[in-house]
Amino acid sequence: MTRRISQILGRGGELNPRNMRLGIWAWLIQRISGLALVVFVVAHVVAISQANFALSGPLFTMLDGLRNPFWSVDRTVLAIDLIMLGIIAFHGMNGIRIVLFDMGVGVGLRSHKVIFWILVAIGVVVGGLVIFYGLPLIGGT
Amino acid sequence: MVVLGVHLWLANFGQPTASLRAILGVILLGLALFHGLNGVRTVILDFNVGTQGRKFVTMILLLVGVASLLFGMHGLWPLIVGG
Repeated sequence: MTRRISQILGRGGELNPRNMRLGIWAWLIQRISGLALVVFVVAHVVAISQANFALSGPLFTMLDGLRNPFWSVDRTVLAIDLIMLGIIAFHGMNGIRIVLFDMGVGVGLRSHKVIFWILVAIGVVVGGLVIFYGLPLIGGT
Repeated sequence: MVVLGVHLWLANFGQPTASLRAILGVILLGLALFHGLNGVRTVILDFNVGTQGRKFVTMILLLVGVASLLFGMHGLWPLIVGG
């Protein structure tokens, strides 16, 4: 690295939470959520494939365990999948904001923040609808 | 985003053939792998890894992506041909 971490995280650094505003938070969460989603996609493909390949072992027992958190009583709640739905909604909506910005839509600072929160609201609504309609189907009741 | 939306809708509401669902799944997998691994490459290259490092990172991620796509296609192949 050409700059020390202490310069980036220290006083005056752009990744010091005291200096961070909405835009840099969105960038940071976009990066972290993206890396988490790469891991999730690989785990999702392996989990969906395990029935087809009749795979077994501690890894797949753990994947099944993630689908049965200890607080569920009657229903199987896909806790990790629900968390990932929220991450997907943010990552997708922020990505759309970036595409709009690159196209020149909402370049001004105030309209930029308005667009960000509108897209967050859309993501929350769509995510809520997916959970509302999808959860009973997942629970199998 | 569009393919992901179709994938989620089909999982909960649609009644397509298993073959269509599997083909859409493979398309989504390919797009998601490309987008995700390109993002990982961007994050790694932001750490100034040098010319040789760039080639190495690109090749490794390309191999991981192709292997993951083939793994996913192999899993969905019976549905594609038999659905």
